[in-house]
Amino acid sequence: MYELFIAPLTETYFQKALIGGSVVAIVAGVVGCLVVLRRMAFLGDALSHAMIAGVAGGYLVMKMLFGLEAHAPGMLLGSLIAAIATVALISFVARISRVKEDTAIGIMYTGIFALGVVAVSIFRHYIHIDLMHFIMGDILGVADSDLWVSVFVAAFVLTILILFFRHFQIATFDPIMAASIGLPVLFIDYVLTTCVSLVVVSAVSMVGVILVVGLLITPAATAYLLSDRLDRMMWLSALFGLTSVVGGLYLCVWLDSAGGGAIMLFCTLQFLVVLGVAPKYGLLARWRRMRNLIPQQQIEDILTTILRYGKTTPVQDISRYVEHHKGLRKALQQMVQDGLLTESAGGFWLTEAGEKEARKVLKAHRLWEAYLETIGTPREKLHPTAHQLEHISDGTTVDYLDEKLGNPHIDPHGKTIP
Amino acid sequence: MTTDSPFVIEVDHLTVSYHAKPALLDVSINIERDQLVGVIGPNGAGKSTFIKAILGFIKPDVGSVLINGRPAQKTKGEVAYVPQRGAVDWDFPITVEEVAMMGRYQQIPWYTSPTSRDRELAVEALTMVRMEDFAHRQIGELSGGQQQRVFMARALAQGSDILLLDEPFAGVDAATERAILDVLERAKNAGKTLVVVHHDLSTAAEYFDRLILIKQRLYAYGPPRLVLREDLLSEVYEGRLRIFTDVLKGEAA
Repeated sequence: MYELFIAPLTETYFQKALIGGSVVAIVAGVVGCLVVLRRMAFLGDALSHAMIAGVAGGYLVMKMLFGLEAHAPGMLLGSLIAAIATVALISFVARISRVKEDTAIGIMYTGIFALGVVAVSIFRHYIHIDLMHFIMGDILGVADSDLWVSVFVAAFVLTILILFFRHFQIATFDPIMAASIGLPVLFIDYVLTTCVSLVVVSAVSMVGVILVVGLLITPAATAYLLSDRLDRMMWLSALFGLTSVVGGLYLCVWLDSAGGGAIMLFCTLQFLVVLGVAPKYGLLARWRRMRNLIPQQQIEDILTTILRYGKTTPVQDISRYVEHHKGLRKALQQMVQDGLLTESAGGFWLTEAGEKEARKVLKAHRLWEAYLETIGTPREKLHPTAHQLEHISDGTTVDYLDEKLGNPHIDPHGKTIP
Repeated sequence: MTTDSPFVIEVDHLTVSYHAKPALLDVSINIERDQLVGVIGPNGAGKSTFIKAILGFIKPDVGSVLINGRPAQKTKGEVAYVPQRGAVDWDFPITVEEVAMMGRYQQIPWYTSPTSRDRELAVEALTMVRMEDFAHRQIGELSGGQQQRVFMARALAQGSDILLLDEPFAGVDAATERAILDVLERAKNAGKTLVVVHHDLSTAAEYFDRLILIKQRLYAYGPPRLVLREDLLSEVYEGRLRIFTDVLKGEAA
């Protein structure tokens, strides 16, 4: 036990990874909620890829102008500029040409990523950037400077999001309303994009270009399945980000695997579990809802059976005429609850509402029979076909038949049409 | 917000164009207080540009839009907007009460949280549309009519005298349509002016006090019987006359 859980905590590299990872994951989770709700997920991906050009550019400029080697703030600023330039280019291309936004994103981020890769390889003797490190991230070798960067970024972004929570909420939910009360919607969008860029930039050194988008959206999507309020979704998302980092880091130590990969794997598994068991939006809940749903057809069959029987009907007689025997008891209970039936010692009888409903279905049935006869349906098929068709319920079908047949009073079997 | 003018919305010689194509051409309308006004016209007639102009989103090429006597671009929030149902993300994590609360956002400074007074006003607005029992539901769990009422509550909580509704009757069944109309009428009786973009000509006469018929130009503004004239409608909705003769007959009956 000690070996498994406590021993890693005593290692400095693990502590740093834990702190840095948690800080990044929490802020990514919170801002990720807005990214998910605005359907900007692909943008997170684009920003992270564009970064490499910015990092290379920042490195080069600082080295050439000031002779500084691997100047962290310079590279950070470079990444930010690259990220914002990418966003600007994407919206420019999408607006002025017939190319749609998703394609524009794809073009621009691969293009700028490629520019970065080429720049890094051309100047490989001059600037020292490990491409592999950049792409895969290295959370176990996180540097103190990275740690500081992520702490400042997190503090800044969280402050903005908390202070202007309502502004982000309304600009995301209903931008027209937001603009109509005088909020600078476009400016809010830019602020959000800048926040996302900052978070992406600070997260790339830990989990790498490819996985950073996962850290941004997976915890948020997980929280989305569990909450019906934005503030709660943000809290939960931050929590899921945190648990992903903690769980992922232990996974990585135990399995001796890549850090970023383990974190995202844990994060994804977490999502899948929640997707399964979430109380309202989960698959299990959905399946149970479907199972508990009593088919309308069964309800209507029960109603007409009792109406035809003409008096309090024992369960055995109902089950003889109703097609689906499965769940008949449950359906009857539900119908009593819904005020369609009353239960007594002798069986079930219709309430006023139930009788009205039953007459409606019976009318539909007999009208369908009359109609089917006029179009030449064989007599033995009249009843079964009408029995299927009587359940069509859009309100106008029955009226149409009634009108078309000239309001008949007798069906082909000589029974009165109610 | 009181002015001497009997008109709450004054549109004066409004012309708006996009890329050398006129969206609105020389439109002048004065809308009186406490009216239920329907805006009708075919697709692409400039109805949404008209909405945007009233909300103060666009700078007219020529002309002006005055809300309560002041330019629309300077009266942000005095016209409460109710979006089209299709434009809302019904899966958004937000409750009925929070939507109503949004009506208060303009009054709440950015550095404070909503006060209990704001909360009271939001609940009051929900009570007006009889949605107070649903306060903690997520908006996607409501029926179409209830959803529309929640956004009406938001507009009422905003405290504006002018409400602008974008196709509130689109995609709802007849019973819901009645329920929505009922809410609109109650708002009107409470002293609101409602401007409603509407698609269905067959119900326009029955629902509204005044109709605005536009297609780039203003074709008519006035009581339905003066606007729903065969010659006007045939001019605006070229070649789809059959429908209108029904409309007109319905109107006469």
